[in-house]
This record gives sequence, C-alpha cells and structure tokens, in this order.
Amino acid sequence: MTSINTEEVYEVDKLTLLDCSKIKLSKEKSGYLTLEYDGKLYRKVSPTRLVPFISKTTYISLSYENNEKEFREIGVIRDMRELSDEQYNILDSYLEYKYYMPEITKVYSIKDNMHGAIFVKADTTSGEKTICIRDWYQNFRMIGYDYLYVNDADGNKYFCPDIHKLDKKSRLVLEMFT
Amino acid sequence: MKLCISKPDNADGEIIYSLPYDFTAEGKAADGHFCATKQKILLYLNGKPLKEYNISDFSEFECRQQIGTSMACGITAEGETICFCAFTQDKFLRFAELLKLLDYYVRTGEFVIEADADEPVCPKCGLPLDGAKECIFCTSKSKTMIKLIKRIAPYKKYFAIAVICTILSESLWVIMPYLDRIIIDRYVTPKSAEWAGFAAVVITVVTLLLLAGIFEFFNMKSSFKVALNLGRDLRQDVFRKSQELSMNSISKRTAGELINRVSSDAAKLEDFITANGKDAIVKILSLIIIGVLLFVMDWRLALMTVIPVPIVFMIVSKLFDTMAIRYTKVWKKGVTHGETLHDILNGIRVVKSYGNEVREIQRYSECSEQWAKSAVRAEIMWYLTMPVSEFILTIGNFFVLYFGGKMILNEAMSLGQLIQFTTYVAMLYEPIRWLIQIPRNLADVSVSAGKVFEILEEASDVRDAEDPVELDIKGDIEFDDVYFGYKVYNPVLKGISCKINKGEMIGIVGHSGVGKSTMINLILRLYDCTQGEIRIDGVNIKDIAQKSLRSQVGVVLQETFLFDGNVLENISYAKPDASFEEVIKAAKTANAHDFIVKLPDGYNTRVGNKGYQLSGGERQRIAIARAILHDPKIIILDEATASLDTQTEKQIQEALGKLTKGRTTIAIAHRLSTLSSADRLIVLDKGRLAEFGTHTELMRAKGVYYKLVMAQRQTTKMKKAALPQTAAEA
Repeated sequence: MTSINTEEVYEVDKLTLLDCSKIKLSKEKSGYLTLEYDGKLYRKVSPTRLVPFISKTTYISLSYENNEKEFREIGVIRDMRELSDEQYNILDSYLEYKYYMPEITKVYSIKDNMHGAIFVKADTTSGEKTICIRDWYQNFRMIGYDYLYVNDADGNKYFCPDIHKLDKKSRLVLEMFT
Repeated sequence: MKLCISKPDNADGEIIYSLPYDFTAEGKAADGHFCATKQKILLYLNGKPLKEYNISDFSEFECRQQIGTSMACGITAEGETICFCAFTQDKFLRFAELLKLLDYYVRTGEFVIEADADEPVCPKCGLPLDGAKECIFCTSKSKTMIKLIKRIAPYKKYFAIAVICTILSESLWVIMPYLDRIIIDRYVTPKSAEWAGFAAVVITVVTLLLLAGIFEFFNMKSSFKVALNLGRDLRQDVFRKSQELSMNSISKRTAGELINRVSSDAAKLEDFITANGKDAIVKILSLIIIGVLLFVMDWRLALMTVIPVPIVFMIVSKLFDTMAIRYTKVWKKGVTHGETLHDILNGIRVVKSYGNEVREIQRYSECSEQWAKSAVRAEIMWYLTMPVSEFILTIGNFFVLYFGGKMILNEAMSLGQLIQFTTYVAMLYEPIRWLIQIPRNLADVSVSAGKVFEILEEASDVRDAEDPVELDIKGDIEFDDVYFGYKVYNPVLKGISCKINKGEMIGIVGHSGVGKSTMINLILRLYDCTQGEIRIDGVNIKDIAQKSLRSQVGVVLQETFLFDGNVLENISYAKPDASFEEVIKAAKTANAHDFIVKLPDGYNTRVGNKGYQLSGGERQRIAIARAILHDPKIIILDEATASLDTQTEKQIQEALGKLTKGRTTIAIAHRLSTLSSADRLIVLDKGRLAEFGTHTELMRAKGVYYKLVMAQRQTTKMKKAALPQTAAEA
C-alpha cells in the first residue's frame, strides 16, 4: 500500500526527470489526477505543458499543492511517448481538456472595428464561430512564423499550428492581421 | 448577471440557477446543466439527472481557471475537493458569479436570489455592450473620419481663409487658358500687330499670376496654422489621455506603442487633414467648374475625356482593400520596430553586460528590414497600378486632339479654342487624380485614426465619483472585506479587513506574489477593489478625488525613477513651487544634502536619463527627499531598501525614520529586519489576512509570521556559515 506523500524536504533547485515506467496516473473526484510514483502517492496532481506552443507531449511537469497550499513539483516527464498506452491516454486526455483549445481550420473574414477589436469568422474544430478579440495586436498574434495564437474576449483560446497550410482565401484574409 | 440561462427539460421546479456546461468532471466533452436549488446542486447530462449534492455538505465553493477550460468545485467540510463540471472560458464569469453566491450562502446562511439584471445589448447585432456606449462591432469607420474632421472646428477661421484663397487662386488659373486662346487667335495666328491689345492681355496675365501668388501665400500660411495646431491638439490629447488612463489600461500597452501613437500616428492625421481636408472642397469645386466649362465649350469632346474615368475608378476601388491590408501591415511593422528599439535601448545595460550587442544589432536590423520591406510592398503595389490607370485615364486626350484637329481643319473650331480646351482637360485630370489617390491616403490614415481614437475614447476604469471629495487626510485607513484581482474573478486579495490608525507604522509581510504590492496599489487607487471598501478617515476611497488622494500620499519604491534633469528638479518634482530652502531642508532630512554638496555642480548636477551616475543609495535618498518635500499624510515604502547593502540601508533607514515620524506609514519589505520599527504587522497568506499584530504578539502566536522569521534566520545563518569559506577562497 502506498502512503500519501508527506515529504518535508523539497529540493527547489533540482530538476527531477520522471521515469515513465514507474508512473501510475488515475483520475480523481477533484477534477485532478492521482499519481503513484516510486512508492509514493500524490493527490490533486496537475500536469502542465512547459512549452505549450512548441510541443504538446514533451516536457510535462507534474505538480501538486501541499497542505500549506504551497506549490510542489514532483518532476518532469521528458516525453509522454515513453508512457504505456493506457497512461498516455489518461494524461493526454487530461491535458487536452485542461488546454482545451479549438484549432482554426478556415478563416472566412476578419472585421476590424478600428477600436482595437476584431471579429474573426472562422471554422474551428469545435464548429463555425465568430471570435471576438479585444486588443487584437496582443491577443491575435503569431508565435514564430507559423503558429497563430488567439485569445478571445471571453478568455477562450484558439490556435492554428501553421497558417501557411491554410487554404489560399484564409491566408489572404489573415494577411492583414498577422 | 443572468444566472439562469437555460434549464434542462423536465427539470426540478425548484431550480433557481441553471447554467450549461461543456465537460464532465472527468474532462469528457458533454452537453449538460449545472443547476442549484436552495438545498441542492443538481447536475444534468443530456437533459437527464446525473448527480446531486447537498449544498450544506460543503464549506466553500470556487471556480478554478485552467488554461482552456475552468472547473466548478466545492470543498466539503472534511476538506475534500469535488469537481462538479467544467466549461469553456466564455461561461467563466457566470459560473464564478454563481459559485460566489453559493459560497456566500454557506458562509452566511443567506441565499441571495439575484434578479436577472438587464444586460444591455447592441440593438443592431445583439452583442453585449459590456458597459460601452456603442457596440464595438458596429461602430463605423466613417464615424472615425467625421470625428477627425470635427477637430478642425476651433480653427475654422483659418480653415475658411485657406479654402477661400485656394478657390480664388484656382479660379485665376481657370481664366489663364482663356487668355491663351485670345493671344493665339487674335495675335499669333493672324500675325496682327495690334500692340495695345496684346500688351493689355500680357499685363492681365502677369497681374493674375501675381494675384495667384498672393492667394497661394495666404492659403499656405493658414493651412499650416490649422495643421500644426491640429497635430499639437491630437498629440496633447493622446498624451493627456495616456496619463489619465488607469494602470490597468496602461499596462496593456508597451511604452513603445504609446510613443508611436502620441507621435507618429498623430502626425499622420495632421498631414492628412492639411493635405486633404481643404483639398476635398477645392478639388471637388474645380472638378465641377472645369467640367461645366468643357461641356459648354463642346459636349462631344468633353464626353470623350470623361468616358475612361469610371473604368479607372473601378480599378482603384478594387485596389482599396488590398491597400488597406498592406498599410495595416506597414503600421504593425512600424510599431514592432518602435517597440524593439525602445526595448533594446531601455535594457542597454543588460545588453552590454552580456556582450550581446551584435545579436541586438541583428534583431534591430531584422525589424527595420521587415518594416522597410512591408512599406516597399505597399508602395510597389500602388506604383504598379498607377501608370496603367494613368494611361487609361488620359486616353481621352488623344481622341480630343484627333477630333479637335479635324474640327480645326474643317474650320469648325479655332486653334486657340482647341488649346484652351486641352488645357482645361489637363486641369480636369488633376482633381480626378486626386480623387483616385484618396483611397490610398484614406487607407493609410484610417489605420492611424483608428489607433488614435481608440485611446482617446477609452473610458478609464478608475474614475472619480460624480462629486468627489477634496479630503484633508489625517491618516486613518480601513480595509473592509476587500476583494481584488487583476482579473476580476481571480482574486489576489480575499476578504481583507483591518484598521490602520493615524500615525502608525504598519509592515506588510508575506511570500512573494501574496498580494503585498496589490494592497498598496489599492490604497493609491491605481486600481479599484472588486468588492468591499477601503476608507480613509472614514471616507470611501472611491469618493475622494484622485488628485486630492495622491497629493497626500508619498511613495518610495525599490527602483527609484529619476527624470532627465538636475537634482533640484528631481527633488522638487513633488512640489514644483517649493522654495530652494525647502528643497535643501528636505535633502538634509533625507541625509542627501551631504552627498549632493560633493557633486560637481551641487544641486544643479544633471542626473541623466535614469540617474545612472548616482549610486542606488544616493538615488534612494533623492527619492526620500522628494517624498519629504511632498509632505504626505500617508507614506508607502515598497521595498524601499531592498536593493541596498546593509551599511547604506542603515543610512536610508535613518532618513526614512525622519520621513515617517508621525505619519501613517505602510511598508513592504522582504527582509523582515527592515520592519523592526513597525508598530504592527499585517501578515498575508494566500491572498488572505492571516495575522495582524505586533512583532512580539505574532512571534508568540507561532503562526505564519513566526515561520517566515524562522526561515529567514536560517538562511542568514547559512549565509554566515558560507561566508568564511568564500572569504578563504578569495
């Protein structure tokens, strides 16, 4: 029986890379995950993508809050593909849900109201939408040359991994704003 | 806020609140409803009941914001967290409000039934207005241009002079071809030697030219007056607005972007108004006059000249959209360029100390290059299309020459008449060319106009009350159940209540990010608290005029900003009308006088852009002198001595001691020893006020403060232990 981790010593300056074969994740009622690792049990574990714009499945940090509500990192998974299929699916579905971000697949039109807001009519993986973006030069921006990152007025996020792969009309519409 | 959006079918009749959700607690995409009655939380999935919970089993409710989704959670009396459901961020505000109401219910036993308050929506498109006067989606572009034109109003006298002078000089030019015709028909072709008549015509020509010159002079003089004043007004308004906006709005933009808006965008509008505002009237008038003249002279020839015009207009209007795209790109690249420049120059010390000059030169060159490239692309597009449309436009001229020539040979027209006609045709093309250019100019300037008016019309979210109080502050401060978050529903401070007495020195301690600086920002009213009240001498801070409040609060920050200027100017910044003696007294009290005396030019020593020539301690003492001169009733010290060594800190502490004597002081310091002179300490923990009392009381309580002190002592010990070793190594 694994005991709940009550470790006092927390080495803040040490990077722990987790051994994927020892990781056992499961879902829990709180909406977070439970992790069994190296004979220890961690509750309310929250995985974080360390480089969400570069990679979705590598460098995933697993952390929890201790009783004092202090942040504690258990360690970092270097590459999720080293996990077993079952474990991979649990973690991946959790991450996909935490980082829920529809992908933009087609852009029909963009209207600029000349007051800092734009309205993007687009097809996304969660259906056709008119996305309202305030302060668009902050919230509708390119990361590198290909990745489009969108943060709408409600705080919903959208992305397009490579705008150059969109159809010609979408690219033309996007040209003015990227 | 509407908290009953849609109820599931066959829902429980007692449901008061009901919101749709998108994910189950396990993170699976779902179509469900989160409902609340007075006793229960009911979860529905696809219209069918899924789970139910007793509200009384929970001690707390909260909304947890993740990256793309958020969770609605409850914490049971046993401390277990239960996630009910999750949803996309557009539902966040409603869920947060609902859970706040439920949380209030379990804490106080009072169930608030919030009436579905009206959420004003745009009558045109139905989007929520969010407190704005106009719908941001429906505001038209032409309105922006009208607003711009309205700005001429104060200078209408000069504007009218400019317009009248231009009309006069233009009409003189219209007479010229007629005189040419007389010269050719009467004196050149028949080779007559009637000198008197010829001389009279020549004198008229010279007089008209002179007159035209005079009108042109007055036109230019008035035009520039209007343009320069207008530009100045715009720049000043944008700048004033940038100063008036709350910290919240300001921090959304980079300094480089604001600089761009104050200087280059306003300048572009200034140019546009001078060049096109007056021209619009004049060009349209001359188009009509010359057009009428041409048709009166010979309608068939006139028709030949104007036939190609619609074609050219069609080509150009097609261009308009593309041009708008290109110019927005140019604008964006220009802003990026400005920002990069500002960023690099601001961080020049870091650049130099890491030896990264070459890399930064490269970064800058790239930006500059991209800006130039985008501008070239925009212009190339324009200049590729222009010759073609110019050719089509003037094609009528060839027909006129052909048929006109024939008419002369048939003696249906005189040579003078044809020359007069062709001169008018050439004159007609000028306003047409201008009209064609308008889309390009409009595209260019509407980008800048949009950016400028966006700032000018932004409503500050920290506003003075309707009838603000000018308060003579004594120094009592009271926090009453204050909640605040930089994002409304992510509170940094939760339920802070405390009373600070006049003349007391209060230290605020806690881990970094716990909300210490936020508390101070709230006292300064750089932000407004989202819930609760802050009172100064019993008056709600929102009712006090901002100017009155800030003029009585003095601030010494960790990083002192000294303006480009001398020591004297920097000290008297707080009180520009202070006498020199007052300044010296303040400097003396701040222990600054002695080092100022040693500076090469005394109080007139220039301290550079950020006062780099002075040491950190010296700069800090100037800041203290500034605060002393300000004679504030409340003093705020935000890590005032954090960047100084212990020796200097002592001197500064001494100066601060004099400053804070008898005044309400609130100090933040990481180094707890710095707060040894504090009367009482506020200990913040996870956004809440954990402890409030004297050092001795808190140490005895062995709570959060005690732990902090112990942790710091340990680090100090460790440092001391490490010291001899390092010394030996050295």
